[in-house]
Amino acid sequence: MIRCRFHLRQCLRPIFAHVHNSARLSVCLIVMLSCLLIGTRTAIAQPPEQSPLARSAKRNVAPNTTQRAFEAAAPAVVKLYGGGLGREHGYGTGTLVSADGKILTTLSLLTSRDRVRAVLADGRTFMARKMATDETRRLVLLKIDASDLPFLEMTDSTVLQPGSPVFALGNWFKVAEGREQVSVTRGTFSMRMLLDARRLAQDYDYRGDALLFDAITSNPGAPGGPLVDLNGNCVGILGRIVEARATLTRINYALPAEQLTDFIGGKVAERRENVASESAVQPYVGIRISRIGFRHVSPYVARVTRDSPADRAGIKRDDLVLMVGDRRISNARDYKEAIATTRPGDRVQFVIKRGDALIAVPVEIGVKP
Amino acid sequence: MSGPILLTLLLLVPVQTPDPYELELARARVVQAAVDQVQPALVQIETVGGAQPVMDGPQGVREEGFRLADGPTTGVIVTNDGLILTSSFNFARNPSIITVTLADGRRLVAELLGRDEIRRLAVLKVEAESELPVPAWVPRDEMRVGQYAIACGRGIGLADNPPFISVGIISALDRRNGNAVQTDAKVSPINYGGPLLDIDGRILGILVPKAGSGGALAGAEWYDSGIGFAIYKRDIDEVFDRLVAGDVIEQGKIGIVLVPDDESLVPDFLKSFFPAARGVKIGNVMAGSPAKVADLREGDRVLSVDGQSVGDVEELLRRLSDRAAGESITLQIKRRWRTFDVTLTLVRADEIGSILEMPKPSNDDAPAEAESTAGA
Repeated sequence: MIRCRFHLRQCLRPIFAHVHNSARLSVCLIVMLSCLLIGTRTAIAQPPEQSPLARSAKRNVAPNTTQRAFEAAAPAVVKLYGGGLGREHGYGTGTLVSADGKILTTLSLLTSRDRVRAVLADGRTFMARKMATDETRRLVLLKIDASDLPFLEMTDSTVLQPGSPVFALGNWFKVAEGREQVSVTRGTFSMRMLLDARRLAQDYDYRGDALLFDAITSNPGAPGGPLVDLNGNCVGILGRIVEARATLTRINYALPAEQLTDFIGGKVAERRENVASESAVQPYVGIRISRIGFRHVSPYVARVTRDSPADRAGIKRDDLVLMVGDRRISNARDYKEAIATTRPGDRVQFVIKRGDALIAVPVEIGVKP
Repeated sequence: MSGPILLTLLLLVPVQTPDPYELELARARVVQAAVDQVQPALVQIETVGGAQPVMDGPQGVREEGFRLADGPTTGVIVTNDGLILTSSFNFARNPSIITVTLADGRRLVAELLGRDEIRRLAVLKVEAESELPVPAWVPRDEMRVGQYAIACGRGIGLADNPPFISVGIISALDRRNGNAVQTDAKVSPINYGGPLLDIDGRILGILVPKAGSGGALAGAEWYDSGIGFAIYKRDIDEVFDRLVAGDVIEQGKIGIVLVPDDESLVPDFLKSFFPAARGVKIGNVMAGSPAKVADLREGDRVLSVDGQSVGDVEELLRRLSDRAAGESITLQIKRRWRTFDVTLTLVRADEIGSILEMPKPSNDDAPAEAESTAGA
């Protein structure tokens, strides 16, 4: 407050000197008020008796934003140990999602055993048993017998804007041993997009929303860990490692948290229906895509069956199919996969190239005769 | 009398430390604003068809185990009449159809004009009815190591998704024979062909795979590693007109196989006394190559390239790496006790006889290292 009084004197002097000049007076008043305000705040933040060195030392130990987010989330991150074989790893990360010990993680060989060892942030070790699995998203809910545990609530990931900082926590590469804390990495959030994992990797047919960011999380042990925002709120769960078939590169992504509340709440997602077994409702378009032997060539239309859905929509021979719905088509295999995901009665937009023109054609999927 | 007041203010204002949390939010807004600047000029490029390498296996002819890049990729509009700059990474398969989706959602058929396999750039042309938005560029002399660098790409997601962004800094300038800026922002097939931005949303360079050993998948090996490269505007301008005219600039080859340095039996300290021991030894000369035409022989030593001496294989390969087919170079050659200059015209790799025509190396169990088989 010493400094504050000093400024007051400085400010008051001109007021008395120019008492007749109303314009200057108002300026002086404003300056005086702001000096008062700033001076008071400064005095509270940094007591004047502190030396500059001590001040800077104190500033260094003040928590940074990463630390703040980490400390909010880390108590709820669990290290998991279980079965591993060959390229599959016997360790992983889980996220506590309830005070009574529900742990969310991804389905893998690690969780294939009935019991998985879970090491909490405070070092306590529990044996976790499987509660529920979501085969489509390859998620699993484990349960440990404990109470009053710290946990992360699923927060709506739409709070993230492109450019927002995000933090991922986990035990990638099993670096954190024993009671050691899990690792944290920082990235920039890019976007929410539709991830079609089947188009990218063979053994994981997740098709749904994914949060994309630039932190490198596609590492062994990372899936199942939380993605948190600046406040340490869980906005996503890191998904299984997905490698793009086309480029042999991995994607760093998380499943949006708000889409996981159902599963955590006990509503176990239905197993995906096996389309192939239901031959009665096989989707039908009536196009044969060109193929030469085993080679996949550009998806030109080789033949259109008369009176088929494709024929009615006006698709002709030698048209090139570029898109079916929002899937990009490169060859006959892509086309087959895209059609397999449709149902009879759906209206699906095909984008075809005829000559130099790109044409959008709505096709009503039929039933195979 | 306002002097003391101003002085007081100046003294007071800097001690206000901003809240780190507020700083983070401000940073996110600034990054988003920078990306918004360039977003109208970013396009998503998709390719269909083209050659796919095949292999002959026990089950007959099948697709090669890996697939060359055919995912969607990124381009930057550089002229308002529809010229688009991208990376040649995506055109290795020579696709039959290329489509471009503009930021406003319009999808157009594009034509591949020219490509530069040295700088790994390609130029596309689209016919748009309206004038297209063109971004601003940062001159080379305004770039500083340590400044913000934002990598942008539309190689993932659908056309209506915002671009993928990765925030880093400029790690180094003038890399890769002096024509690229290096960044620690994550660079991968997601943003090859896209721009590296400064904090104001101006383009520092075009992101290209310029790492690793070369070949069809070069660059993917170093993806997301914190080592990414973007080509300067200055270096793009040097070849831009040729690319628009439809040129294909490919790396020039001489047609020699080099002997790895460690096979040289002369100790290092002796090399300074015996000039014959310096330079790089030629192991084999390929049939029908410029080297064969110039009568280079096995055992010759390359002492210098265009007057610049070469100490080892690495240096020789680096000096030759940005020379295009069609260019001429002068090599200083040492053969026994004779030193002479030869001038050769570089050719494309496929103009040189197949590797099968090459005389078999006498040492069959020599390790097939990159250096030992890397033709130059």
